[in-house]
Amino acid sequence: MLCCCCYCQMIPSESHEEEENEAPVKAKRSKTEDAGGEEVVYHPVKLSRSDLYRPPTAEELNQLKEAESLFHCSLLKMQMEELLKEVALSERRKQQIDSFIQTVTKLLRTVPESPEVEVSDLSWLSSAVKVPFLLVPKTTKGKFHMTPPASVDLIGSYPLGTCTKPRVMVDLAVTIPADVLHPKDVVNQRYPRKRALYLAGLAQYLASSSDIGSMLYSCLHGNRLRPVLLLTPPGKDSSSFIVRVHACPPPGFFKPNRFHPQRNNIRTEWYTGLQTSHEPPTPHYNSSVLGDLLPRAHLQFLSAVSSQCSAFADGVALLKVWLRQRELHQGAGCFNGFLASMLIAYLLTSHRISNSMTAYQLLRNTLNFLASTDLTVNGISLAKDPDSTPSLAEFHDAFQVVFVDPSGHLNMCADMTACTYKQLQHEASVSMQFWDNPTVDGFHSLLMTPKPMIRTSDHIFQLCELVKLQSSCKKLNLLSELMDHSGNYVHTALPYILSLLQRGLGQRIHLLTHSLSPDPEWSVESEAPKHKAQPPLSFGVLLMPELAASALERGPPADSPKAAEFRQLWGSRSELRRFQDGAITEAVLWDGESMCQKRLVPRQIITHLLQLYHVFDMYCALQLPSTGEEESLLVVQSYDDLSRKLWRLEGLPLSITAVQGAHPALRYTQVFPPLPLKLDYSFFDREKTSRSLVPKEGKPCPAYITPITVICHMEGSGKWPHDRLAIRHIRTAFHIRLGELLKKHHNYTCRPCPTHLDVWKDGLVFRIHVAYHREPQVLRESVNAEGLLVVRDNEEAQALEMATIHKPLLTSTLHGLQQQHPCFGAVCRLAKRWLGAQLFGDDITEDTADLLVASLFLQPAPFTPPGSPQVGFLRFLHLLSSFDWRNNPLVVNLNNQLAATDYTEIKNDFTATRESLPVLFIATPKDKKQSIWTKRAPSVQMLQRVVMVAAESLKLLENQLMDSNQIQDVRVVMRPPLDAYDVLIHLNPKQVPRGIMAGNVTQSGGALPVINYNPVSLYMAELREAFGDLALFFCDPHGGTVIAVLWKPKAFIPVPFKTSQVSARSVVVTGEEANTVPNVEAILEDFRIMGKGLIKSLEARTEKWSL
Amino acid sequence: MAPSKKKHASSQPCIIPGGFTELSLQFSSDSAAQHKLYVKEHKVRAQKSSHRPLDRTLFVLNIPPYCSEGVVKELFSQFGCVQSVELRDHPGSFQDSGPKLSRFFKPVAKQGFRVGYVVFENSSSLKAAKSHPHDVSLVVCTEQRPVKTGVQKWIQQYTESFINPDKLQQIVDSFMEGYDKRKEEEAERQRKEAEQQQEDEEGWVKVTRGSKGTKGRPHSEAANERTLQKEMRKKKRKELLNFYTWQHRNTQKEHIADLRKKFEEDKQRIALLRAQRKFKPY
Repeated sequence: MLCCCCYCQMIPSESHEEEENEAPVKAKRSKTEDAGGEEVVYHPVKLSRSDLYRPPTAEELNQLKEAESLFHCSLLKMQMEELLKEVALSERRKQQIDSFIQTVTKLLRTVPESPEVEVSDLSWLSSAVKVPFLLVPKTTKGKFHMTPPASVDLIGSYPLGTCTKPRVMVDLAVTIPADVLHPKDVVNQRYPRKRALYLAGLAQYLASSSDIGSMLYSCLHGNRLRPVLLLTPPGKDSSSFIVRVHACPPPGFFKPNRFHPQRNNIRTEWYTGLQTSHEPPTPHYNSSVLGDLLPRAHLQFLSAVSSQCSAFADGVALLKVWLRQRELHQGAGCFNGFLASMLIAYLLTSHRISNSMTAYQLLRNTLNFLASTDLTVNGISLAKDPDSTPSLAEFHDAFQVVFVDPSGHLNMCADMTACTYKQLQHEASVSMQFWDNPTVDGFHSLLMTPKPMIRTSDHIFQLCELVKLQSSCKKLNLLSELMDHSGNYVHTALPYILSLLQRGLGQRIHLLTHSLSPDPEWSVESEAPKHKAQPPLSFGVLLMPELAASALERGPPADSPKAAEFRQLWGSRSELRRFQDGAITEAVLWDGESMCQKRLVPRQIITHLLQLYHVFDMYCALQLPSTGEEESLLVVQSYDDLSRKLWRLEGLPLSITAVQGAHPALRYTQVFPPLPLKLDYSFFDREKTSRSLVPKEGKPCPAYITPITVICHMEGSGKWPHDRLAIRHIRTAFHIRLGELLKKHHNYTCRPCPTHLDVWKDGLVFRIHVAYHREPQVLRESVNAEGLLVVRDNEEAQALEMATIHKPLLTSTLHGLQQQHPCFGAVCRLAKRWLGAQLFGDDITEDTADLLVASLFLQPAPFTPPGSPQVGFLRFLHLLSSFDWRNNPLVVNLNNQLAATDYTEIKNDFTATRESLPVLFIATPKDKKQSIWTKRAPSVQMLQRVVMVAAESLKLLENQLMDSNQIQDVRVVMRPPLDAYDVLIHLNPKQVPRGIMAGNVTQSGGALPVINYNPVSLYMAELREAFGDLALFFCDPHGGTVIAVLWKPKAFIPVPFKTSQVSARSVVVTGEEANTVPNVEAILEDFRIMGKGLIKSLEARTEKWSL
Repeated sequence: MAPSKKKHASSQPCIIPGGFTELSLQFSSDSAAQHKLYVKEHKVRAQKSSHRPLDRTLFVLNIPPYCSEGVVKELFSQFGCVQSVELRDHPGSFQDSGPKLSRFFKPVAKQGFRVGYVVFENSSSLKAAKSHPHDVSLVVCTEQRPVKTGVQKWIQQYTESFINPDKLQQIVDSFMEGYDKRKEEEAERQRKEAEQQQEDEEGWVKVTRGSKGTKGRPHSEAANERTLQKEMRKKKRKELLNFYTWQHRNTQKEHIADLRKKFEEDKQRIALLRAQRKFKPY
């Protein structure tokens, strides 16, 4: 119905509008009505002629123009409007909040008074309520008593109108009366302790009231000096919002210049018991106390700004959504909603953005500002008269990130680490990059896609046993900082650990991020949790692909002054080395013989740097024993050699125009790359005529040798016949001739067949297909009865084109992608291993899987291209499970050949003919309309299952990887659930060929081994041909020993007797009618007969069948 | 022969509606389950073919994949001498498949359940088959006639797939010879036709639909289309665009209509997305 409203604005408002305009309006009404209702399918819009060519009004013209010029697609504008509707609070919710706030305020006003006692005396508090404070050191001076608050006010986002769903937080400031406090309370945590006591007193009183649902303690942004009380309403609304009660001093109670970042407010003697002559500054302590003093002033400031700019609230809401999707919105040192509104206010007051801008423009300009401004070096200030307040330089000395509030005394980013700000900047610049890219779904990437750390960072490490940080604070001599952070050793040590990591990883990484520990919440009846109780710290890194894996860390020359520093950092690992250029420098050499080990270099570095602590590598469980990259490289080298030799062959009647690889192994994506191997001859029989080995009965199946497909295009010529059979015979002749030449010149064992030529080279088998470029055309042509030459597409021609044109092209393109992104192949192989293990290998084919993975690298927005196989695999699972396959085409822009217009064209074609297209639609530059790779499979049902299993696997994997306490058995995701299947055929493991088998490289020549002999796939093919219309068959192609059979849902419905439909059926006669049903016993018997020697047992789960 | 002895036994041939007789078939004598074959005399109205004489051909449905033509021939020879067996994926008329191909060049046959046309030497065998009692099964694999399946079969297939390159070359050569010959014959025929169109001594030309006649008009679909398009283009080139005021106005109108259409499209897309709750960010 909302559609109607916005349409109504477009309807001419003049009252003297002619009659003819009435009709289209009505038509439109009815149309939008059914669009908003049950109708979920998109139809191409059909507007009537009169509707399209109606004279436009000025208003309508303006609206259309705005939509066209401001946004590259008006869709984005509408999408943002819809999103805002989703996150905005409803009127009903606001009423609930208001009434609850009233109740709470009324209750708070009636808090009973208590007699004055020493601060350390807690006897007035009942034992059911604890003080939300870690009392270290135990005692401090001062007196305290409970009195009703001086005032209770709403502060923060709710009164400002920038409060958003979910987790609605309403902030309530309770002013502690002036007589409870003393102006000197700033010193030695007296004020924070009184604040905590006051909260405990409120909690004790509120606990007896029935108007409060539940009560929890928490603390503001992880700062233990600023505890808060969380209240929820009673009954069923309890989860709809949370009221956060802050206790504050009366405004202006403390003098702001006491909180100068270079002043000391915690005495060393009180804190440590030691005497010192020099008191260190306590900037963090100062800012946390000062923060309590200013919320009302901040609210006033923001309200003033907001009243000037109409889109302020919406802009802030969008920015908050953006931050939340990037997990920057909460925890210690976060960039929260308050900072977001302050930043927009800063841009507005400094006239970088104008008051008349829309929410969309506000978000855009803010991100642009963030991307281009480094607050760690050039802080910004909202203060009006900077003379009376501390200078920016003084702030920079004390804090890593500087953003000064309107009063000029408070750094609002006091707790933020430089790394967090860099992460924010990185996110903003990535967002700006894809925002203008019309080929990316900007809205979705910008605001709708969650970016959890585990799917964003290339590597994640966890620091467990946080308690060890306490001792390291001592070792690093951080006592004064520890005092400043009031004993929170995690926050104290964090910047030092970060800088250590940054120094150690140096050029290898692009970005270092860390998790923001969430605000702890605990019940009012329990003690405040210790600092070590928070979840382990996670560090994420984005790797530089070129440098991340280098095994050598070259330091400064031995005689330079920096050498000592280098030695200190690397300790015993550092040694003097002489290099080829003659330089003698300090250097560290990490273990890195294979690619797989090289990938682990960052991990080695981090373990070395943090060897004091227990570092946990999140991905170690996902590590493959060998990543097979070296093997793939060998295959590619061997292929390159063969291709060179083919080019040089002389004596062929026609010359070779192209040699192209068409096999996953040649693009580094074969799950188990072929290994050169040595044969055990006792396991084979010999074929006399061609000196070849054949499998022997009674012996285990020989290791599977994958023939590596190579397409060899021959020159076009008038000599080629124009007849399909003749072309096939000529091709055979070429195979024979090529074989003879290769044998003669290079002594390779060859075996020509009508369809291909097998070449046994370097322990690998290459299968060469000779191709003639006009053959598909010949296959399509036929002469009809009238003698007219007609060209009709057919399956045979398509299959040939697939094999000789599309596959080689895909292989070479993806080979190029691998050169750009070194971990592309490894991601593909993990993904395909998972698909195989989950028995989806036949539905999501190898080529499809490779394309899906390629899309992760080519269009990573809002991420960056995966830098490690593990994160790539996680994103692959996420893509499978979250992409809207029904309504969107997945465009894989190989080689960047598609322009924006192509994207719209693809989308329009897709929506127009959705019903007739494959369920999983992948468009590539060479194939915009058909999705040739997914034409055959998967079906709707199978895709649904793939999506479901992928979502489950992803959930499981992320939980396991992020939780270091669990036993890491990620192979769980590689075990398929077999309970859904009707019949299980267990295979004899000895007859199931395995891909992996190591051995020595055999010499070229010699007997030809058994090639491409796989009993399981032969059996599967026979089963599918015989029973394909009754059942589905699934098997893990990588050595799975079970074949799962699922009856089709309609298989057992009796159908009338027809001569074309009696396969494997028996007739049941009822009266005059003859119906057929599948002959199940005979079919099961056939399973056994057809797989004789391969089958171990057959498990029919008859109890599941609904016959 | 054999069936006449069993006729007086209690079992009767099982005949189902449609005129088919049900025969049981099991793989070996100790198999637990049986397939049912349905047989009937081959009967078609129109086409008469020497390959499938009407009175002697038995039409068999549901032949399991492990029964090759040889096996079927032997199975049915208990009813009388079998002249030939033809197995096919679907019932249908007999098709001639061009020049004879060697086994290596034949397309791979599908290994599913098939239908068969069994041609007996005598028409009496047909009756014998149709009156075979349904509870006496035909046995595919016996000791005298082992049928290989599973691993044994695949190894055999693999072994048989080898061919000596010289032999393969021979096959190719002989085929190409035949092909060239056919080509030549064709060329000869065309030359003769062309000759016929030359003037004879008296100056007469015989007009036929020969190669010369077809030269004038396009002989393929694509060419046909091309000519049509050429005509269209020619017409278009002569038109003036944005020349008159009304034309200019029309273009502007088209532009606004385009914008409107796009706006409507977007709106509908939004409605669709909203229906799917696509705007919930978390």
